Parts: sequence; C-alpha cells; structure tokens
Amino acid sequence: MNKKIPFILIMPIVLLGVLFMYGVINGIVQGFGYIPAFNLRHITLDYYIEILNSDTFLDSLKISLQISVTSSIISVLLGTMLTAALVYTGHTEGKVIQVIKLAILIPHTIVALFSISMLSQNGLIARLFYQLGLINGQGDFPLLLYTKNNLGIILGYIWKEVPFVAYFSLALMSSINNTLGEASENLGASKLKTFFHITLPLSMPAIRKAFLIILTFSFGAYDLPFLLGATVPKALPVQSHIEYIHPDLRHRPYAMAINGLILIITWTIAGIYYLITKKKKIKGDIHERY
Amino acid sequence: MKLELKNLSVTLSDKKILKSINLMVEDGEFISLLGASGCGKSTMLKTIAGLINQSEGSVILDGNIADKIPAHKRRTIIVFQNFRLFPNMTVWENVSFPLKILGVEKKQAREKALELLKKVKLEGYENRSVDELSGGQMQRVALARALAAEPIVLLLDEPFSSLDMNLRKDMRELVSELQKEYKITTILVTHDQEEALTMSNRIAFMHSGQIEQYDTPENIFKHPVNTIVADYFSKGIYVNGEITNNRFVSELFTSNANKHNGKYKCLIRPLAVKVNKYYKGDFKVASKIYQGDNFLLKIHNSKDLKLESIISDSVDIVEGDRVNIELDMDRLIFIPEKQ
Amino acid sequence: MKDINSNKLLKLFLYLVLFAILTPMIILLLLAFASRWPWPSLLPDTYSLRAIKEVLAPHTKVVSTLFSSIILSLSVAILSAIVGTMTARALVLYEFKGKGFIDFLGLAPNIVPGAIFAMGIHVVFIKISLADTVLGVIIVHLMYTLPYSINIMRDLTKSIGDQMEMQAYVLGASPLKAFMYITLPLLTPGIMASVSMAYITSFSQYFITLLIGGGKVKTISLLMVPFITKGDRNIGSAYALVFAISTLLVFIIIDKIIKKITISK
Repeated sequence: MNKKIPFILIMPIVLLGVLFMYGVINGIVQGFGYIPAFNLRHITLDYYIEILNSDTFLDSLKISLQISVTSSIISVLLGTMLTAALVYTGHTEGKVIQVIKLAILIPHTIVALFSISMLSQNGLIARLFYQLGLINGQGDFPLLLYTKNNLGIILGYIWKEVPFVAYFSLALMSSINNTLGEASENLGASKLKTFFHITLPLSMPAIRKAFLIILTFSFGAYDLPFLLGATVPKALPVQSHIEYIHPDLRHRPYAMAINGLILIITWTIAGIYYLITKKKKIKGDIHERY
Repeated sequence: MKLELKNLSVTLSDKKILKSINLMVEDGEFISLLGASGCGKSTMLKTIAGLINQSEGSVILDGNIADKIPAHKRRTIIVFQNFRLFPNMTVWENVSFPLKILGVEKKQAREKALELLKKVKLEGYENRSVDELSGGQMQRVALARALAAEPIVLLLDEPFSSLDMNLRKDMRELVSELQKEYKITTILVTHDQEEALTMSNRIAFMHSGQIEQYDTPENIFKHPVNTIVADYFSKGIYVNGEITNNRFVSELFTSNANKHNGKYKCLIRPLAVKVNKYYKGDFKVASKIYQGDNFLLKIHNSKDLKLESIISDSVDIVEGDRVNIELDMDRLIFIPEKQ
Repeated sequence: MKDINSNKLLKLFLYLVLFAILTPMIILLLLAFASRWPWPSLLPDTYSLRAIKEVLAPHTKVVSTLFSSIILSLSVAILSAIVGTMTARALVLYEFKGKGFIDFLGLAPNIVPGAIFAMGIHVVFIKISLADTVLGVIIVHLMYTLPYSINIMRDLTKSIGDQMEMQAYVLGASPLKAFMYITLPLLTPGIMASVSMAYITSFSQYFITLLIGGGKVKTISLLMVPFITKGDRNIGSAYALVFAISTLLVFIIIDKIIKKITISK
C-alpha cells in the first residue's frame, strides 16, 4: 500500500504533464509541416526557412526584442532600487507591501486600460503637460500607443514588473541587510558602501532570476502588444496568433514555426542565464547560507 | 578606551529592554555581561555599537558622548555569534575588509590580513573561500577581521555558543591572549558562568534589563547581592533567619556573620556542607550521584529539610547511610531579605 | 550626513512608486463614475452611474457571466491547490523513479511562453473534443497555475516534514487521519496562498480563454476586453471595477470561511 502512494499522488500532474507535452510537441511538429488533419504529411524546414527570410519576421523579432529587453532592463534597475528603498526605510511588511502586491496581481488587460487612460494623447499625463504649459494641444503630446516606438507597451510592462522584481528579491536583500549588512556597517563601512560592497552583490542571485523571468515573459507575451501595439510591425507572439486564426488553414504551419522560433530564442536566453550562473557557482559567488 | 553607560534605556517594539543602565568599563579591562537569554545583553552591545538607538541616556567613549557618532564611525567592533563572514570574499579579503573601507592600499591590506591570520593561528588559509571553513576557523577569521578594524572597544556577542565544547576552551584562551596583547577594552556577552568566571576582570550580571551586580568574579561568586545572582552560579538551600550583633540565628543552626543587623536568607551550597557517617545521624543519604571528579550526595532529615553535599570518591558513604552535617561557616552566603 | 540624505531620497523614491501605482487605479475609479470629462480637465466635470448601469444592464448578462467566471476560477483554484499539494508531497516525502521528470513537468509551463502552449494545446483539445468547453478552459488554466502552486506547497511541505504525522501514526491514527488532522491544518497557509494566486491568475486570463474556449466559454475578462480595444474608457473602467470588487469579495469570503473552519477545530 505504501509503495503505491507516491504514484497515486503524482497521477494528476502526470496526466496534465503528458497532455501539456503532447500539445507542445504537436505544435512544434506542425511547424515542420506535418499536419495530417490538413493532408500535410511532408516534414520540411521550408516554413522555418521562409519565415527566417521574411522581412515581417525580422521586423517582428526586432520589436519583440526591443520591448522585452528595454522594459526588462529598466524594470530590473528600478525594481532593485525599490527593493533597497523598502529595506532601508523599514517597510518590509505592512500597507506599503500590500500596494506592491496589488500591482503584481492586476491583470495585463487592466494594465492596458491604465496605459490608455494615462498615456494616450487624450490621457491624464497629456492633460497634465497641457496644464503645466509644456504642450499646446493634444496633438503635441507624443504618440506612445499603437505606434512603432511601443513606449506605451514598455511602460505598461515596467508598471507591473518593477513591483514584481522588488517583491521577488525583497526577502533575500532584507535578510542580507540585517545580518551581513549590519556586520559591514559595524566594521566601518557607511550604509552606502555597505550596499554596493555587500548587500547588492549578495542579492544578485534573486535579482538575476527575476530578470530572467521578466525577460522571457515579456518576449513571449502577447497581451500588451496585442492591445496596445502598432498595426505594423507586430510583436512575434501577435504575428503568430494572426497566422493561427487565419481562415486559410495552410497558414497554420507558419504560426507554429514562429512559435517554435519564439521557443528557441526563449530557451537560448534561459540557457545563457544558466551558463552564467553555473560559472558564478563555481567561483563561489552564489551561496545559500543567508 | 574608557567606556561608560549613563542611564541608558532602550525600548524595542514597545517593550523596555534596558532599564536605566549605568556601567563603567576601564581602559583595557575585560568584562563579561552575564545573564539568561532575554535579559538584554545583546541589545546592550548593539546599543554601544550604535546599531540600536537608545530611548534615553548616553554611551560615553573616553569621556566623550558618542550618541551622535554614526555606527560605522564608532570603532566599537562586534564579533557575532553567527560569525557573519562575507561569502563573496576569500578569507584574507574578509579580514582586510575594514582596511579596504579605510582606503588602505591592497598590498598593505593583504599583508596586515596575513599578519592577523597568523595571530589567530590560521596561517595558510588566506585564499580559502568561506564555505570551506569549519565553525572554529570561521570564528577565528571573524576575530581577525574585528582586530583589523582596530577597535577601541571589542564587543563579543556569545561568540563561542555555536562551537563544540573542546573548541570553546581553545577559543577562550586565544581571545584572552589577544586581548592582553592588544590591551583592548573588551565586553563579552555570555550566558555561560564558567566563561564569565574564567575570562573576566569583572562581571556585570544582568537580569530583566538591569545590572544586578557588577563585581570581580570571586566577589560575585562568594558574595552575591541577591538570590537571582546567587542562583545563577550555583544552586543551594536557603534558610531564613536574622542577624543581630554579627550572629546569624535560624531554626536549623546559628553562625557568625559579619553583616549589618536585619533579616537574611542564608544560602547553603553543596561545598559548604561537610558530612560524617554516624549511625545515629540526623540526616539520611537519599541518593549518591557520580559526577566524574566527585560525588553529589542528596540528604534529608526527619523534618524533610533537603541538603546537598559534595564528597570525594575516597569517602565511604553509600545510599541509606545516616550522617551528621557540619556547616563550613566561611562558605555560608548571607543575602539580605528584600524589605 | 550622507546616510540621512540617501535615506530621504529612498523615501521619496518609494512614495513616487506608490503614487505611480495608485494613480492609475484612482483614475480608473473616476472613469467608471465619470459622465463628462473633457480635455484638458484633470478631474471629471460631472459624475453619473451611466457606465455602471450599462455594464449591469440585463442584456450584457454580466451578472450571470460573473457568476460562472467565479465558479470557473474557483474550480481552477481548488484543483490547483489540491494537485499542487499532492505533487509537492510526493516530491518532498517520497523517493521514486522519474522524480526529476516530475520536477521538470512542474517547471515546464513557466519556461514555455504562453502563446506556444496555448496554440499547441488547442489543436490537441480539438482532437479530444475539449475545445470550446468549460472543462477544456479549466484544464488549460490549471496547467498555467500549477507551477506556482507546486512551488508554494513544496517549500511549506518541506519545512513541516512528516514528523508530526509519523507521531500520530505511531500513536494509533490511520495514515489518512494523521494527514487530515495533523498535516493539513499546518498546510493551510500554503493552500490559501495557492488558491488565491491560482484564482486571480485564472480570473485574469483573456487570450487563453478566448482561444481554448472559442468564444463559447464566456468570462468577465472576455466581456471586458473588447471595450479596452475599442477605447471606451468609461465602460472598460466600469468592467474593471466589477472585476476588482468581485475578486475582493471572493477573497474576503474565502478568508472568512477558512477562519470559521480553523476556529471550529
């Protein structure tokens, strides 16, 4: 009886996992042109090759990278500053953290609504600029939504990701600060020197991980690019979605090939991350004591 | 560096941890803050170091009020119980950290670090990473690091509690040696009375945020001012009585007592009780417990008064024997009754 | 003093961040109740319940959709907590072949971007007739929330261990009773966290629900988003308000129920 228990316990996850893997593999296979349901039985790299050579793909790739890299770098910098602010002002619990958590919980669809109401030419920020005399009319306010610069999308991701990075690395930075940070100060280092010599370097494992999570997420997400993006060029996930719902089913393999490429790029980023952190583990940089 | 605490009070989370502490530590003196967990000793260390702000009173270093001096400038260095070595640095980098902060050149800093590592008997360990070290080695690196900061006051916060018994003795000797060599004013926080008794010039016994007695080890052991202090060092039996004209009178016995008139509790510790085997003795031996160096005898009389005595292993007394007792007057401790 | 100044700066930064987080929410609230808010006013000129009334009007079927959305997301949340607890227990307390693989499965939905996972699954679901069904949507949401649930429960299960359960078992309780009366109450905080997190993740989904549900499975997110794309801020905000308040109410009720259960014990 006892031997069977673990297997009973993992049955649900195995079933779901198998279903999940089947779905993902099926998707990948379709990218190679094998869709028996549509009478496509010839495995080929043609779809991949066509996409890699197309300008639309390259433009979309550029947009996706632009959005994810820009928003992630800014988010991780501001997010780390926020973590430091929370730790040094002693607000590691209480009302302030509730507000931060609230921002993390708000869905991207509502964040899109925020972006529209705040950042559009008729939005709150534009009105504020007008009242301050910085612009003369709606038309003077820069286009942030539905345009190539995608600033509306980037700002939307930043709005959600800064609280996320802060919350994710808060526990670690707080405990480092209380133990090693205190020792460092006691040994003669000012709070500022302590932060840059001790607290920040030792909090990097959490910060790095948060960066990886937000980078891969924003690269593969289609919510904000779909709701706030320009007509052309579209972000990669949006592009694949368009191909997917195309009435001509022969577009299906293109959708799946784009997805396959998104997957490859995402895993490459994750792979690079693991290689870098593995190196640091060997150098003795990463620790688990505190 | 003379250290003085004047009317120092500390309140944390609405709880009064330190209650108007007054303490004076002479230059180069080694004192212990002794007491049970929660009595406020670690809080006192952190307040001296400026890591906790007092609600009242002052910390005075060498005659100057230090309250406005920020923590990182006080040079009151703490060696923590959990060592707190920096994992992102090697051993010598840890030790030379205070020097790096002061802007000392790398080469010089490394030399100084190696010199200190030699003093703590860790020659050859300089390039190791922190996670390769044992508990005792980490403690020594922490000590070397504290010394590198050239402290004016050295604060040791229960530094030996996470070490094995054997290691503790070695570490205590090392700390005593170094303290004598560098002549640093040192405060050791501990709950181990043996540690306090063997290492200190004076002991400040703390209870509930107050200093009950501040005296040399011998005085605190032999002449505790109240039962709290007395019981911490060695348990015994209390007999109530009164002293008039230097004579202590109680139900059980009388004795000479060089104290002021008044009501007193007389503390009878095991070493004060001598026993003689006598078949018509008042006391019966209830149990004989082996303690390695000696035996502990638990005896009681017909009125159910229980005493303890220490005898050497060469004495022929067994459980069930009857004995007479003789009290060693010099070892009796008289503690005034609180009015 | 350098330190005091940098502390002041950090405090200022903190307040700016809080301001940046709360302002859009306040604007949303105002938009939901605004009637006339012309350029360039910073506050609405007039307020009215027009947007709210339109959202709650019978023809939108908001109330019934809200109700079914809550049931759907609660199902996902409860299933997620249960499966998460079971899987975490297996991973922490038992050794078995293929443990590493299960570990990986738990992590997989995190490293596979949503788009691929949704489109890949969709094709499979069509084949097994789960597409356009509520069950299909529940399953997909579950896949999305499980990694988080497993993570939460795993840490908690590890720190609790099975010591106490063993103790009860040795004293005569059946394994099931030992689990239910000893371990389960201790797991409650983690279960609550899993439930809340899974609920809100599921309730927030739009694209996955649209894709797998084929538009036939209606959730409140599906009703809300068209107004966002159309740019109707008032109605969009009113929907967002309904979304937020219903979520808050659900959390409060769950909290109260848990408190009642734990107190009655």
